[in-house]
Amino acid sequence: MELSTIKDAFDRVAKKQKLSCSKTLEVIDLVGQEIEQAMAKMQSTDNGAGCFDQKSILLELKTKLNEMVPMNQLEGSQRELNVGLVKYAKILEKYFNPDISKAYRNIDFDIHIVNQIIASHFYRQGLFDLGDCFVREANEQDAATLKSPFLEMYGILEAMRSRNLEPALNWASKQSEMLRQNGSTLQLRLHQLQFVEILQKGSRNEALKYARTYLAPFASVHKVEIQKLMACLLWAGRLDRSPYAEFLSPSHWERLAEELTQQFCSLLGQSYESPLSVAIAAGIQGLPTLLKLATVMAAKQQEWQAMKQLPVPVDLGREFQFHSIFVCPVLREQGTDENPPMLMPCGHVLSKQSIVKLSKSSTRPFKCPYCPLEATVGQCRQLHF
Amino acid sequence: MDMAVESPSSLANGDSSAVSTATTPAAAAAAASPPSSRMLQLAESLKLEHQFLRVPLEHFKKTIRAHHRCAEKEVSAVLSSVAEAADRSDAMSREAAVNHLSSLVSRLQGLKRKLEEGSRAENLQAQRCRARLDHLDSIDVENLTEWSNTRLKRILVDYMLRMSYYDAAKKLAETSNIQDLVDIEVFLEAKKVIDSLQNKEVGPGLAWCAENKSRLKKSKSKLEFQLRLQEFIELVRADNNLRAIQYARKYLAPWGATYMKELQRVMATLAFRSNTECPSYKVLFEPMQWDYLVEQFKQEFCRLFGMTLEPLLNIYLQAGLSALKTPFCFEEGCTKEDPLSQEGFRKLAAPLPFSKQHHSKLVCYITKELMDTENPPLVLPNGYVYSTKALEEMASKNDGRVTCPRTGETFNFSELVKAYIS
Repeated sequence: MELSTIKDAFDRVAKKQKLSCSKTLEVIDLVGQEIEQAMAKMQSTDNGAGCFDQKSILLELKTKLNEMVPMNQLEGSQRELNVGLVKYAKILEKYFNPDISKAYRNIDFDIHIVNQIIASHFYRQGLFDLGDCFVREANEQDAATLKSPFLEMYGILEAMRSRNLEPALNWASKQSEMLRQNGSTLQLRLHQLQFVEILQKGSRNEALKYARTYLAPFASVHKVEIQKLMACLLWAGRLDRSPYAEFLSPSHWERLAEELTQQFCSLLGQSYESPLSVAIAAGIQGLPTLLKLATVMAAKQQEWQAMKQLPVPVDLGREFQFHSIFVCPVLREQGTDENPPMLMPCGHVLSKQSIVKLSKSSTRPFKCPYCPLEATVGQCRQLHF
Repeated sequence: MDMAVESPSSLANGDSSAVSTATTPAAAAAAASPPSSRMLQLAESLKLEHQFLRVPLEHFKKTIRAHHRCAEKEVSAVLSSVAEAADRSDAMSREAAVNHLSSLVSRLQGLKRKLEEGSRAENLQAQRCRARLDHLDSIDVENLTEWSNTRLKRILVDYMLRMSYYDAAKKLAETSNIQDLVDIEVFLEAKKVIDSLQNKEVGPGLAWCAENKSRLKKSKSKLEFQLRLQEFIELVRADNNLRAIQYARKYLAPWGATYMKELQRVMATLAFRSNTECPSYKVLFEPMQWDYLVEQFKQEFCRLFGMTLEPLLNIYLQAGLSALKTPFCFEEGCTKEDPLSQEGFRKLAAPLPFSKQHHSKLVCYITKELMDTENPPLVLPNGYVYSTKALEEMASKNDGRVTCPRTGETFNFSELVKAYIS
């Protein structure tokens, strides 16, 4: 987009505005000066001159002011500015989409649901004051359910930032079983970090004690990691000069904080990314296509409001791909339970219906539509993604 | 006709196939995709920002107009005052004439001060218009995450302002330091009118109509008439019939040509009184008429400033949910990362259309990564499909054996076959 063109256009408008301003002030000054001159004239004439003089001075002033046509001057500069403003508004209309609600389906979102989603979004972003303020103002008291769990999470993360692992370890040991089920090694890695911290402070005995208490239970599953950690004991206090200096990298803290966030959200039944951010981001990527579609379908407004499926694909980035979607390349239809994807011996995948059609419902071999190899229905097997 | 619609999607398809040649994991995929198509997508998304530039411009225009009108009024008042003094039949004393002129001079000086102040306000508004252009220009692949966060905040502030959650809106704007990028001031102007309507007063609403008379007339706005009707109804409610009639003569009659039917209906309330049980008149006395006026005002207000009538949040949410909506979102095993796994989002999406796919998109059950030519799908003998990457890693850890995470069966890596999905 030509943003620089638009900027230039606006700068021209701003210049005209300044010009118009100074012009207006100039006109006012001129009028004021004329009046002051007239006043001076009145005061300078000697006392005896009488009313006639004043009258003539006033009349003269009137003519002078009329000759100046100050109103026209005011309007002239304003008109020029207005032309600029109108032109600029037209430029905006040309380069931007002036109505992004064209593809909007006329349904009202349930305000309470939207508010709850927003409140949850604030809490999960750690914006607790804002969340409280929002909940109060929107009068959605029951929208604060996520507040206390996320308060706990941000408390743990805050402590980790100041190199205090205590809250994180407490949480992990409470959730130990759930974490293991998730296949997460978070607990071990937290202990590992704590162990290295103790070792770094130079106390070998304490580190050994810590390892016996907290690392030993993991030994059966994570032999290699534990062995490395034990070797670290030899370099107590000078780990930075050891082959294991990598353990000191601050990136461990960052990665662990991220992993903790992930696990915390997962155990809460929440996603890692804010679902509101994801949905809005998807909307921003998808809306341009929808708007083009709405323009094409402008004549079929009713159809637009009622359709069950969008008539064209709206392509989103891979970060929005949450599900495996199989589209049969022959039928161009999405696979279903009744019409599942089938693998042919050549490795190509078609939907069941296509295969039945190609084989003409017989057991004789048929040619794959994508390669020269032949297959029979019996050789094809259903796939699960 | 079909081509016109297909073109953006085919571009995006080009994007996804190009992405598939990159070997970086999903997280880095965004950055790894070729800059040209990514930039194209950014440019498309910027085109949605009309309101973002239009609202401050309308505000700017409004301020300019108000100052200009003020200057015109004052200068012309001074001119006619001079003319009047000059044309007076009775002669003025010198003192009186001088005093008269000096009062005009100080009036002009007052005007000048006011305009100088106004000019400063205009400059600030011009700066705001400019700041928004600069903000749009600052979008880049590198700062995309931050920029998108700001955009989400802008959308949320817009929603809260429209819903009259002013404190939360201000708080979010202040804590994120985006005051120049949101329209709090504009909405505070609306707040005055909305508050008064909620207190059952039409005064500020009428004043607002008068202020924007020519533009409301151009858009054939009915708001002023509706406010007048309500004021009339209130007179009838108070049993102040004579005044009601006077009011109708003065303020309702001029609208007769355009809204005769409604005018007649409202006039009939004089006969029915406020305690009527007749449904078509009873409704006119309901307190919800005031809520309706608030809604009407909000719509006119948005239209005047070039805003969408719906909150931006609703527009984007609707588009996003529709684009994300697949039948799989409603299945039991739906991943939590999908917003549509949550009850709230599902309810919002219920009346929206499903998305459509022309091409297969397969996500590995284990790694959640897209399976493509770089990371092709492998089929286990039991028919379950996982990405090559996931299975290779599993095999390398387990002496060449892989376990199907969904059925628990184990196989040799050599038993797996490649699937070609077009």
